[in-house]
Amino acid sequence: MSAPRFDELIHAPTRLSLVSLLAATDWAEFRYLRDQLGLSDSALSKQLSTLEQAGYVEVRKSFVGKRPRTSVKLSRHGRGAFDGHVAALQQIVARAGTSVLPGA
Amino acid sequence: MSEPRISPSAAADALVEIHARRDQAVTAALVPGWYWPALGGLMAAFTAAVETHRPWVVAVGSVGCALGLGTLVARVALRHRAQVRSSLIGVHGTVAIVGYALGLVALGLVTGFTAESAGLAWPATVGAAATAGAMTATGQSLMGYLRGVMTARPIGGGR
Repeated sequence: MSAPRFDELIHAPTRLSLVSLLAATDWAEFRYLRDQLGLSDSALSKQLSTLEQAGYVEVRKSFVGKRPRTSVKLSRHGRGAFDGHVAALQQIVARAGTSVLPGA
Repeated sequence: MSEPRISPSAAADALVEIHARRDQAVTAALVPGWYWPALGGLMAAFTAAVETHRPWVVAVGSVGCALGLGTLVARVALRHRAQVRSSLIGVHGTVAIVGYALGLVALGLVTGFTAESAGLAWPATVGAAATAGAMTATGQSLMGYLRGVMTARPIGGGR
């Protein structure tokens, strides 16, 4: 279990959704993330740039035939930050004595 | 630890969102319903082609099934634009997949040999058809089980 560490960068609503999707995957294509999150190309690029600058994601560009393909994965650092953030959220809820945890 | 400035209800909402996004990723990665009858149909067709013992039928059937299988796999592969974390499947998921595959093989063999001993024509095709029927009937149930296994795992670093 990771040490609780609330992460402001991850907690921003769009980035929380983005990082949550990435945390469930080994890698994901840019198009997949855009479609699942309902974002525009530019909005997703902006969020990915922010996460990439923090070292939370790795972005790889390649070609399949003549078509460019961009794939994204959560870095080890990013996964650690996400795990710590989840632990912090769970701690906040647990301390409040509520039972609003999913599956609780 | 950074001092968070959010309320417990906001933290709970964030956890709900994290769960929902994981469920979304898992659901999108499951093979579609049409995959199972399509794969079963190809298996049965290939077996029937071989069982005719006519070289030209075997040749045409082999090429046709290879093309069909290639198309099937390509369609499923192209549809998947993300790879769900392999660790989510866990021991229970792996055992379920292996058990399912072995069960299908056993069903095909038992049905085929039973058909042969009963003197039925095309016993191998009967066995393959039984396997195809079982795949069609239960493939989505396996997917549902795997989805349950993957979404039941703790989020974050919990195991």
